[in-house]
Amino acid sequence: MGYFLQQLVNGLELGSLYALVALGYTLIYGILELLNFAHGDVFMVGAFLAAGAAAALVHNEIAAIPGGFVVVLMLLVAMGGAGVLGVAIERVAYRPLRNANRLAPLITAIGVSLFLENAVFVWVSPAPVLVPTNALVSQGVIQAGSVATPLTGLVLFAGALALMIALDLFVFRTRFGSAMRATAQDREAATFMGIDVDRVIMVTFFIASALAGLGGVLFGLRYASVDFFMGYGLGIKAFTAAVIGGIGNIRGAMVGGLLLGVLESLSGGFISTQFQDTFVFLALIAVLLLRPQGLLGQPVTDRA
Amino acid sequence: MSGQPAVFDGEPGHALKRFWESGPSGWNRTLTRPVVLVPFFVGAAIVPLILQYLEDNSSWIGAQYWTLILATCAMYACLAVALNLVVGYAGLLNLGFIAFFGIGSYAYALVASDQIHLHFPLWAALLVVIVVTLAFALLVGVPALRLRGDYLAIVTLAFGLIMTNLILDLDRPPVLAGHQFGPDGLNITNGTNGLHNVAPFSLPTSLPLLGDIPHYRMYYWVFLGFLALSIFCMLRWRNTRTGRAWVAIREDELAARAMGVNIFKYRLLAFCTSAVMAGIVGMIDAALVFNAYPENFAVQQTVQVFVMAILGGLGSLPGAIIGSIAFTIPPYVLQQFVFYKYLIISVVLIAVMVFRPEGLLGTVSLRPRKALGGTIELLTAESAEEVAEMPAVSGADAAEIEAVTGEIVTPEQKA
Repeated sequence: MGYFLQQLVNGLELGSLYALVALGYTLIYGILELLNFAHGDVFMVGAFLAAGAAAALVHNEIAAIPGGFVVVLMLLVAMGGAGVLGVAIERVAYRPLRNANRLAPLITAIGVSLFLENAVFVWVSPAPVLVPTNALVSQGVIQAGSVATPLTGLVLFAGALALMIALDLFVFRTRFGSAMRATAQDREAATFMGIDVDRVIMVTFFIASALAGLGGVLFGLRYASVDFFMGYGLGIKAFTAAVIGGIGNIRGAMVGGLLLGVLESLSGGFISTQFQDTFVFLALIAVLLLRPQGLLGQPVTDRA
Repeated sequence: MSGQPAVFDGEPGHALKRFWESGPSGWNRTLTRPVVLVPFFVGAAIVPLILQYLEDNSSWIGAQYWTLILATCAMYACLAVALNLVVGYAGLLNLGFIAFFGIGSYAYALVASDQIHLHFPLWAALLVVIVVTLAFALLVGVPALRLRGDYLAIVTLAFGLIMTNLILDLDRPPVLAGHQFGPDGLNITNGTNGLHNVAPFSLPTSLPLLGDIPHYRMYYWVFLGFLALSIFCMLRWRNTRTGRAWVAIREDELAARAMGVNIFKYRLLAFCTSAVMAGIVGMIDAALVFNAYPENFAVQQTVQVFVMAILGGLGSLPGAIIGSIAFTIPPYVLQQFVFYKYLIISVVLIAVMVFRPEGLLGTVSLRPRKALGGTIELLTAESAEEVAEMPAVSGADAAEIEAVTGEIVTPEQKA
């Protein structure tokens, strides 16, 4: 039982990270019906920005800077940087193709993903970069009965959860949120209602990418190492989570992310670590076949 | 250029001008005529002999090296043509495409090496490769092709990742929930190391008139032969009921369905044929390099083949060849930039999609559709503009264009 609970806690921790990145996929899909394959790499760039900011401050021997301040700065740099990157990607690679055949933006998205990976590989670092977490956050471990989790894991979970609730409130309770939902439902009709669709799409990309940047910071604090290829694997998992929850559905992405994290952790713990990832993708295929709209998604009619 | 097509009469300058002005569909039509393709393939087959002659008669060495590059080039051309079938003809975004190449090479490596001590003759190995890739293609295709377009991309991507994981992890017996399946020493794929000492095909090492044939040259010819065969089949296929069905589905699925086209059947056919073609290319590659590597499944490879097919133009066979040449030869010539290879590839991919989505010779229009204007006035103005832009073609000519290139001659008018 203790082992099961431990796996569950690990799964929730991992799942909250998936959920953060999955939210980005889902927001962008909801608005543009675009599978933004580059989103995982935006997460990776965010993590690198955070690692860079942390390294610059910690290694400069400015001992007076408290760890908490550095973390706040990391958050600002990573979320702001990733957000701007997301907006730039939309501007350069997706906007010119907004009304094109659906194949075209999908292919550019793959191109952007490959570009970001290789840009970091070539210009930043081909090797993993360490994040000086020791100097930033407490390395304490929380023990509850037989279940233990590092403090950073708890921060990851709590931070992700808080952001998800905030996003949900933003989308469902504010004026701009309803503009976003209107754009998602029918872009043309939204234009007639006086909504600046371009601006809505831009802000959506900013929010989605900033969330990925936040995920990058939390990932760096929890796992202490970032590399140029990490966005690929995590991006695919997060994307899987978004699809399982019902792509385009914000609450679905959260549920899907947590579910996927738990599934991965439990299948790794009880069935086989060797085929952990295979189970994840089999779950994706199973969901797509049995309930293509995802767990919380609305059934969609085939748009030919 | 000796093989000028018969349609161009009059002075050569005039013919070239007319060729230039005929636009992508015209270039495509001209370049897929036998009078162009046959000399092209004969010329391509002679190139290694010329290289050999140069090496024998000068201080230059590198005939073997360049023949290997040519073989790589021909291999990518085969892959780009196969990808063109599934993406260009049928409009299915198969992101797990390269997995079928990997499956083919591993299937061949397993029945032609000491890994599980099987040494099949060529015809039996070919049969195994076809059956195995077909089985995997059906396994993915049957469920996935019933889904909406986007989801096919996801499922095929996930399939590619599952195959990578399996290849990397099946170097030991699978253990599920504490139960081990298979004996202790079970090692099917040899993990990250890949399979080595794969037997090459039992092909003659010398031919009458040509003398000794080095390994690389032989496989260059094998790839070239397979490329010619694929292109021949694809061109013939275009003109049949099947080819027209594919184009109809790609252009307007709803309309095709209304015409009674069995969408699922034709999509599955395109998906499986392309997968088997990729599998056979994988098999030839394994025999060429004596190895099957896990890198054969790398996603970057898929992107590379996509770039080739897209730069040349989706739906265009000469475009696929041009694309594969454009992305195979330069990395060898510009060795100092090899570090930036994928960076350059990704920039080209994005730039082509944004500025010329149909590629150099493409007949599949991925261009943004003009959004319907809010007023009738705008709508008619645009329609008038479109009509004015239409090339003046006679009825017979239009029918021929449609039959040969599969291009829909009237402009697409979807909302």
